[in-house]
Amino acid sequence: MELLWAAVNVVIAYFFVTNAFVAKTAIKEGLAAQAALLLGGALIAVFAVALARQSLQLLRAPGTAGGLR
Amino acid sequence: MGAAARWVLVFAGLAILAAGAYMSLAQAGSGGQPWDPELSDNFVFMRVLPFVLGLGAVVGIFRAGGWNGTVRRGDQIRRFSPGTVIGHWIATVGFVLALPTGLWQYLGGILDVHLEFPLYLIYRIHYIGAALILFSVANFAAYWWVNGDRSLLPPRGEWRRHLAGFALELPRSLGTRLATWLRLDLKARPQPQRFTFYETAFSFPTWTFALVLITVTGLLKAMRYIYPIPGPVLYGASTLHVAAMVLLTLKVLDHLRYTLARWPLMVAMARGWITESALRRVLDTTARLGSGPVEPTLPASAPAGVAGGSER
Repeated sequence: MELLWAAVNVVIAYFFVTNAFVAKTAIKEGLAAQAALLLGGALIAVFAVALARQSLQLLRAPGTAGGLR
Repeated sequence: MGAAARWVLVFAGLAILAAGAYMSLAQAGSGGQPWDPELSDNFVFMRVLPFVLGLGAVVGIFRAGGWNGTVRRGDQIRRFSPGTVIGHWIATVGFVLALPTGLWQYLGGILDVHLEFPLYLIYRIHYIGAALILFSVANFAAYWWVNGDRSLLPPRGEWRRHLAGFALELPRSLGTRLATWLRLDLKARPQPQRFTFYETAFSFPTWTFALVLITVTGLLKAMRYIYPIPGPVLYGASTLHVAAMVLLTLKVLDHLRYTLARWPLMVAMARGWITESALRRVLDTTARLGSGPVEPTLPASAPAGVAGGSER
């Protein structure tokens, strides 16, 4: 479930980042919104990848994820 | 307050909420209102909200009255009371409903994409999720206010110690940078008590900040049709609401990552109980990070209460 949640968030991050660079966003929302989309998308991607890594680690070696199972 | 009085309070809260919701829904469904479904839902949400907050507060007061402090059964320590476990999962359902629908409202507007089904249904789910989150906020705020438990916050004058512990929990390069920036002393290597320093110095304060921000801005946005909100205030509230949404998205991801790596904490939030040895492992692993002499707390012979025996 956590992997699914991480995957959904990667897709959201993709939408955030890609839409930071389209002309429509610049016209409709302005530069500040573009920067916010880029930053927000990048952060979501980083945190989603961290969760995915943690989940995969737990799947591969259930007893060693953080050593606390 | 006696148990009977507390039960009366909760039933009164439930009855008032039911009556308020019935009146509001009956008016919305009477066919006599000129509003479209989206605006009608907004009015229902705003009318029901005071009752939802009231119910949350009385449930919190009810739970605080039954607070037991340290509870243990053999090696098992009650980490979370049943009310906290249920309250946590109600908030989780609220997030699962409100976050994706909020993201869709925002992204759908930017992408100019429309789904097959009407937008008011997305808003309706968002309002239901928001109501669950607001119930949880009122519930936990009243619970902690009345029972006086502040164990998730660093005590007065202890912030630097908790921030130093948090810096030691981070990857070394990041932790050192944070310590240099905040001029923290990492040599003392403080030991966590009931909750890890990540939880007390970082996680709980940021949850609080994000929830307060999304609550205040969401209420300002939602009340604009029943009370005139100045344009710049509404614009600012909308911008900050989106910022809080992104922050909560990050918080959920980080919370899952952190608790997944500390599986006993995840189990404790489902069962309410944790073994003392598992809790000690969580806290000791946290303390092992970094280098230097360790603060002499939480020895193997420490009583259970020291290791988080008090439920929250």
